Amino acid sequence: MTDILLIILAMSLLYMSIANRLISYLRILVIQGLILFGATFLTLTELNTVNLLFILLETLVFKAIAVPWFLNHIIRKNRITREAEPYLPNFLSLLIVTLIITAAIILASFINDEHLDKTFFVVAISTIFTGLYLIVSRKKIITHVIGYIVIENGVFVLSLAVGNEMPMLVNLGIMLDIFASVLILGIFFNKIGDVIKDPDVNVLSNLKDS
Amino acid sequence: MISLLLILVTSLFFMGVVVRTKSLASGRKGPGILQPMRDIVRLWRKGSVYSKTTSLIFKLAPTAYLASVLMAILWIPCGSSTGLLSFEGDFVLFAYLLAFGKFMMIVAALDTGSSFEGMGASREALFSMLVEPAFFILMGSFALLTGQTSFEGIFSQLHFGSHISYLIGALATLVFVMIAMVENSRMPFDDPKTHLELTMVHEVMILDHSGFDLGLILYTTQLKFAMYGAIISNLFLGQLPLYYTIPLFFVIQTAFAVAVGLIESFIARFRMGHNPQAIFILTSVSVLLFFGVLLLTGTFS
Repeated sequence: MTDILLIILAMSLLYMSIANRLISYLRILVIQGLILFGATFLTLTELNTVNLLFILLETLVFKAIAVPWFLNHIIRKNRITREAEPYLPNFLSLLIVTLIITAAIILASFINDEHLDKTFFVVAISTIFTGLYLIVSRKKIITHVIGYIVIENGVFVLSLAVGNEMPMLVNLGIMLDIFASVLILGIFFNKIGDVIKDPDVNVLSNLKDS
Repeated sequence: MISLLLILVTSLFFMGVVVRTKSLASGRKGPGILQPMRDIVRLWRKGSVYSKTTSLIFKLAPTAYLASVLMAILWIPCGSSTGLLSFEGDFVLFAYLLAFGKFMMIVAALDTGSSFEGMGASREALFSMLVEPAFFILMGSFALLTGQTSFEGIFSQLHFGSHISYLIGALATLVFVMIAMVENSRMPFDDPKTHLELTMVHEVMILDHSGFDLGLILYTTQLKFAMYGAIISNLFLGQLPLYYTIPLFFVIQTAFAVAVGLIESFIARFRMGHNPQAIFILTSVSVLLFFGVLLLTGTFS
């Protein structure tokens, strides 16, 4: 069952590579949050109840509800246009994400380690690299934040693989999510929205100490 | 032998079910389910008109197209009853027989010397090229899953037991339905009812064919749909006795036809520039399906 969820997560990455509107990206983030919630519920069977509840609540509330809602709020507040504005055509993006997934499968087939669950490994690696690709291939600052959250989802999948042995790692990963992605970048972005009207990456190079 | 007969029977009513579904979905009553076939028979009674610029290839192409699809059908089994022919690796021949038929149509379109037809032919060639890796990765995954390399072997060994194999079955059905839509140039990828040459794909290719030839081409479309329906039904039939297989076959074909009708009713046609990525996503999904098969066979964990 976890395998099914993880493969659906990989399919959501494919959709993310060709989505046109920011609202679709947010919907995919919600879906990914729900998938991670399900995967957490099915994978972390050896934790004590309180810790498991804490992790599940964190996953559901922050990954599936709070972060997408907050990003939506930022998009509304700063009146960001709804297109994602990629540098490359969507077809090439799809090709590259497919290549990333294929490369992750090939990479995983070279690794012989009995402690490694390869499903988690493949999906995590392809999620992390797709997030990086989203960051470098989209023009808007808000899509950088979205790409960063996708990377965080990948890290979370990787930490789930060892979650039963080291539950602290999962907690730390989620805390990192909340801290880094939302608070820092959210405040950062709101401040920028006051100063710069056009939320494009290129205007960041105009920021100077003065 | 049985699969050939069943596919031929299905091809008579398949498009009728699609048209009826579309009519019902848009609130009309719609023609009877044999009406598309009656139109084709009417075309078959007519003669053909040939342009002076065309050569022998143009006259040959519709027949070659129909023959290639008929020949491809010979390899398809139906549940426990085998296809007429079978050998190791026959799905490669299957794909290239279909490609041969398409090639003849493309060459015939170029033969007319019309600029519009060349444009349509190039689009059709591009879409077929993009859909081909999806088919091969899919059949390759099944070959890996079952350890067989012929249609007959693959579908006789294929059975879905664990939960991840249900996902594989669902994804394979999705990919096959979309392959059938692309190969037949149906709605999300190409609108068969459009009358503007600039936006046509398949229709502009067959613009110069008339009468008997046009009837052959239209019938081949129905036959191709029935063929893909047979492949999809093989995913679910398994090794049942014949008196279960035949009704189940028709039920799955009808469900496939209704699904095609619903997709055509409720999904708008993709923009021409968005078609390649929409088709290529089938290949990406097939890669994930291959990954699922790797997990299932245990060669990967």
